[in-house]
Amino acid sequence: MNDLYPEGFVTPVESEDFEPGLTRDIVLKLSALKEEPQWLTEFRLKAFDHLQTIKEPTWSIVNYKPIDYQGMRFYSAPKFTEEGDIPQDVLDTFEKLGVPLHERDALLGLAPKVAVDVVFDSVSIATTFQAELAEHGIIFCSISEAVKNHPELVKKYLGSVISYRDNYFATLNSAVFSDGTFCYIPKGVRCPLELNTYFRINARNTGQFERTLIVADDDSFVSYLEGCTAPAYSENTLHAAVVELITLDSAEIKYSTVQNWYPGDENGVGGVLNFVTKRGICKGDNSKISWTQVETGSAVTWKYPSCILRGDNSVGEFYSVAVTKHKQQADTGTKMIHVGKNTRSTIISKGISSGDSVNTYRGLVQIGKNAHNSRNYTECDSLMLNNSQALTLPTVSQYNSTSVVEHEASAGKLNEEALYYLQCKGLSEEDAINCLVTGFCKSVFQELPLEFAAEANKLLSVTLEGAVG
Amino acid sequence: MLILQDVTIATEGKEILNNVNLEFGPGIHFIVGPNGAGKSTLAHAIMSNPKYDITGGMKYNDTQLDELATWERAQLGIFLSFQNPTPIEGMSNFRLIKEAMNMGTTSSIMDKLNGFRGLAKELNLPEGWDKKELNVQASGGEKKKNELIQMKMLDPSVAILDEPDSGLDVDAINSLIEQLSDFNNKDKTIIIVSHYEKLLKSFEPSTVTVVANGTTTQTTDISVVTKVLADGFKDFA
Repeated sequence: MNDLYPEGFVTPVESEDFEPGLTRDIVLKLSALKEEPQWLTEFRLKAFDHLQTIKEPTWSIVNYKPIDYQGMRFYSAPKFTEEGDIPQDVLDTFEKLGVPLHERDALLGLAPKVAVDVVFDSVSIATTFQAELAEHGIIFCSISEAVKNHPELVKKYLGSVISYRDNYFATLNSAVFSDGTFCYIPKGVRCPLELNTYFRINARNTGQFERTLIVADDDSFVSYLEGCTAPAYSENTLHAAVVELITLDSAEIKYSTVQNWYPGDENGVGGVLNFVTKRGICKGDNSKISWTQVETGSAVTWKYPSCILRGDNSVGEFYSVAVTKHKQQADTGTKMIHVGKNTRSTIISKGISSGDSVNTYRGLVQIGKNAHNSRNYTECDSLMLNNSQALTLPTVSQYNSTSVVEHEASAGKLNEEALYYLQCKGLSEEDAINCLVTGFCKSVFQELPLEFAAEANKLLSVTLEGAVG
Repeated sequence: MLILQDVTIATEGKEILNNVNLEFGPGIHFIVGPNGAGKSTLAHAIMSNPKYDITGGMKYNDTQLDELATWERAQLGIFLSFQNPTPIEGMSNFRLIKEAMNMGTTSSIMDKLNGFRGLAKELNLPEGWDKKELNVQASGGEKKKNELIQMKMLDPSVAILDEPDSGLDVDAINSLIEQLSDFNNKDKTIIIVSHYEKLLKSFEPSTVTVVANGTTTQTTDISVVTKVLADGFKDFA
């Protein structure tokens, strides 16, 4: 077991799997297994057919071995016990990972009180505090459940922000997504709990394709956090998710990610290929979407959580810390598409790289011709701990003259004098590096929900352990 | 006892001090000398600042220091208060104390925080000082006071204070003298680099070291202090 990635264990569990391969039959079989309505089956098939006509994107600065879609499984779910219960091993897995699956623990103050949906391989296995949330009219459930119980909402919004034709991995996801989280906050409701989805990959050679859809109706607010881990397998595992967010008038979604997929070993063997499409639309006036991400895991990360600021006065934010070490590759950033008037966006990106890793920020700020009086502020800072590479690739297109776009960037190494100062006060070199890196990330960490900020700090120190030398 | 034996300090191939032979036992020691003579260099050499090439021997009690890293020396109980404390963004004043006191203490975090706040108050630092960023957006005087808090909290056996008075106003100098007197007991070794008359006249040193002309001269004849305060360092040139 790798000390630096304690989440890398495998849970021995009997599972129900599809045979490997990506075919029209597999798509139909998945849809049938989930007893889906006709419109959803058609959505999948359209995506599958489109997939046959397109190729994986090649513009990002990442290298990986060709993905063998025909050798991979697209569905794997743990077998429930004869009594219909979740196998104990699966429950133990989440216990071990510190994911609070028991409402009781939160009520006793043993765990933070957050509502959790847990996804194990291809299925959501449990969701907590549903009843309490329902009292406020909030729907928080797996997307499969939502398709059954709230088809009108899912039908209206699924694919409305990210079309099934968007890009190769979004198209793939649209065809084969197996589960994920759905969340609806009704008008005027401020969600009283943090909502949290925890994704766990366990099965070998199986892709995970989940879909998250969050709709915040007029004047509502929700803070949502996702976390994820996977076993330390020596092959790559594909994770291709799609996340869509919609805010209506004066609504706000705060979406946080702590991404800790298995990064592969120090020679770049194994690790998750994290090819994710995330986008939100501020549909209503005065609405707001805020993305905060802490990316420490995955062999390859390819993701650009973005905001379409359509409503007037709407606000988009992107706060990111991406850490890469050894042979990790991260190509991440955001797109802020200003459509409405007086729209504002803020981008704070912190990249930390060490070893032979490559850490790229890629961003687009687009101010449309009718987006009068809009503003963007972008700050991209890179910290390189040794021979690693950091790249910053910002693109700005501005089509009106009343808007202002600001961009600041810095790139550098750890400040030697600061390291020396801290060591003079008794901090070991490793602790001193940790403190400086945490300080570098502070403006992003402080955007995380309180319960998770400490965890992010801890994760950062574990990630950096042995990364500098 | 901190001993420097035949120490030479150079940087970028240029020798700054040679033939440095010093002993600092329990008590107060002064280091004086003209500007640019190498007083700070000497203080930082004791901490093994990586920018200096140091030869010769340094020993603290029974421990040979030469192979030890900066933080290992600090953890042995040798503390340096900086003349110009380095700004550390994103780290609070108290976080440093917390990190530095991580090992070897049994007091709770709340005790430490209360101790910290008490000292900040005694030194007239603004409310919420514990949360302020370390040496960022602080005045010269505030940074110096913060170094003093660190010294009191970390409670080292050897405290080297590099011009602890610079940037302080008269009231703050009085607090500094008070804090140092309070810190000073029979086990502590306190090495003060200064040329500030009031500070030097407030303590009875065990030794005085004059840093001048590329070397050091240590003496127990403390009348040297009065002499250099009156006549300067021309006799050492």
